[in-house]
Amino acid sequence: MHHLINKQNDEWQLVSQEDSEQQKIEWQDAESWQPGQALRLPVDAELDPQWGQASVIGIDFPALTDGRGLSLAVLLRTRLNYSGDLRGLGAVHEDILHFMVRCGFSSFELPESRDPNVALNCIAPHKQYYQSSVVDPLNHFDRV
Amino acid sequence: MYQYTEFDRSFIEERVNHYREQTTRYLNGQLSEDEFLQLRLRNGLYLQRLAPMLRVAIPYGTLSSQQLFALGKVAREYDRGYGHLSTRQNMQFNWPELAEVPDILADMAKVDLHAIQTSGSCIRNVTTDHFAGAAADETIDPRPYCEIIRQWSTNHPEFEWLPRKFKIAVTGAAEDRAAIGVHDVGLRVYRDDKGDVQFDVYAGGGLGRTPVLGALVRSELPIEHLLTYLEALMRVYNRYGRRDNKYKARIKILVRAMGVDGFRAKVDEEWAHSKGGPGTLPEAEITRVEAFFAPPGYSQQPEVGDALAEHRLANPKFSQWLQHNVTEHKAPGYAAVTLSTKATGVPPGDVSDTQIDAVAQWAADYSFSEVRISHEQNFVLPHVPKQHLFELWQKAQAQNLATANARLITDMICCPGGDYCSLANAKSIPVAEALQERFDDYDFQYDLGELNLNISGCMNACGHHHVGHIGILGVDKKGSEFYQISLGGHAGHSELAPSLGQIVGPSIPRAEVCDVIAKILEIYVDLRLEDESFLGCFKRVGIAPFKERVYAPSH
Ligand code: HEM
Ligand code: SF4
Repeated sequence: MHHLINKQNDEWQLVSQEDSEQQKIEWQDAESWQPGQALRLPVDAELDPQWGQASVIGIDFPALTDGRGLSLAVLLRTRLNYSGDLRGLGAVHEDILHFMVRCGFSSFELPESRDPNVALNCIAPHKQYYQSSVVDPLNHFDRV
Repeated sequence: MYQYTEFDRSFIEERVNHYREQTTRYLNGQLSEDEFLQLRLRNGLYLQRLAPMLRVAIPYGTLSSQQLFALGKVAREYDRGYGHLSTRQNMQFNWPELAEVPDILADMAKVDLHAIQTSGSCIRNVTTDHFAGAAADETIDPRPYCEIIRQWSTNHPEFEWLPRKFKIAVTGAAEDRAAIGVHDVGLRVYRDDKGDVQFDVYAGGGLGRTPVLGALVRSELPIEHLLTYLEALMRVYNRYGRRDNKYKARIKILVRAMGVDGFRAKVDEEWAHSKGGPGTLPEAEITRVEAFFAPPGYSQQPEVGDALAEHRLANPKFSQWLQHNVTEHKAPGYAAVTLSTKATGVPPGDVSDTQIDAVAQWAADYSFSEVRISHEQNFVLPHVPKQHLFELWQKAQAQNLATANARLITDMICCPGGDYCSLANAKSIPVAEALQERFDDYDFQYDLGELNLNISGCMNACGHHHVGHIGILGVDKKGSEFYQISLGGHAGHSELAPSLGQIVGPSIPRAEVCDVIAKILEIYVDLRLEDESFLGCFKRVGIAPFKERVYAPSH
């Protein structure tokens, strides 16, 4: 089992184990996936325009240090204009969440061994950031 | 120089708090060694067996007097009274207590300093010409663009977890003092015929085990597209750079594997989607940042030629110092001064807290409160009125910071080597000391002219031996310390294209290093044409005469 974190009414929240089990997802790998199904991608996936029609997309991180999934997320959001739920899977780490959020992730499966309260605590360590991003594509220079 | 806004200030405060919280979790056992390693590296903290080290970011090597005073205080209170100037224009402290690092960072945040991204596989602190804004040969001041890159790369959400570290350097002068050819990305900034700011972008340079010179991947990139282009380039690297082998993970290996044309095409394809998009720099932002780097309030300076000439006659050492450590300035009556840390007997780049305080005070008194750190590991006071040079020299002498050797053989770059570093094959500091002693004689050095000698204790090349006119590399030969000598490297400190050194012959034990270097110098003196520099001579005659004669049995 894992801890499911998602956004409800604009607030990050921990989904209860019960709800999380009810919402259990049948992930499909890219080879077997059909439009309308849940798609699980490895971090080195090359874009397929059809993926915009997934019900949910998960990106499976092999290690906390592997940033490829961040670029892939940005591409799904900006190149395919995918607007559905984008979920971090695998080696999701509490200290990477804030980067993932700004690359377009909207939910996370935090491994069971991690503390979800710590994760919620450090999901937004900064009020504002230096650069424009997928979630804040407004020109960041508006900040100043 | 750049002044922090409310936003910059609260950002680094938040960063300190986050790091403090990470440290607490580590100490409570909620983060493993490996997890915390990744987090602390991105905050500049190395835990070496022999010497834990905190690397403080000095953005493009520029500090205010007040910031330098604060660093002096860190040296005093947390280190053992020392700081170390690094080859990437940063300042390092040894032996910080892990649990105290958040306090050090909080102290530094009060003067707008931090250690963000000074290590780890992310975009590192951007570097530039230490004479930026002052040098007479400058076409454009690179600092505003460094600052724009600093802001863009700070906690960039997509590029914090790259295959390997990523270093960007920028130059805006005829002579490339930022060594852009040996960086992951090197930028040459200039104005086109219409006066618009543009960049030539080089990618894939680097030293380390596989030294490579960067290749030109885009020329005439207009300033407004700087960030979207860099973003496209970084994305290609982030996605396709190797992650299976850390020795093959730098962008240089990717550029080589794809071919320069293949790499360029891939970046262009990526860029086509984002060019003109949200990251495009608005004119107002460019002007806003440029305004911070307006020239300080230079004033009309008295003519001091005669007075200086008198001091020169009376003080030969002052005269030598003027010749080597004082550089032509853009503004009439001003000069840029190099305060050499390479006095005989002192490890290159090491400075005491008293020296740090003294330099901070001189910056306030003589240089519009500005100081630079050069990648040769010296301090620079960028804007000193010539009328104060003698006074400054006297003070610098008293602090052992007036050695007249800038760019001469004893102005060496040297890594910490076997005395401090657990990766070393051999010690490097004792070699530097022995060479300094051997060649201490000013007339001898002066006669040799410009000569960079760089020493690394192993092939990680922290001492940049590949780009030394003379390079010394520590190697391990059956468990004992040996040294390999290379010749003819240079990082672009001239209008010549940068080049990597060539090995002159078999490696030698430490006891022979001084003699072999002396021999090399003798051969050079013998072969040079009038006024020909070591590098110029080497370029003309090649490695062969050195190979032949260095190891020839002496009679
Ligand atoms: C005690 C400690 C040190 C250790 C263990 C260490 C380790 C390393 C390693 C492993 C690399 C190779 C990175 C690669 O393969 O890309 C490297 C590169 C480098 N180090 Fe160090 N280092 C130490 C101290 C220093 C110091 C004190 C300086 C500055 C004076 C320095 C400056 C550099 C530079 C400039 C490079 C980059 C070379 C390049 O661009 O490829 N290092 N270091
Ligand atoms: S070059 Fe080698 S010996 Fe020197 S500091 Fe770097 S890793 Fe250590």
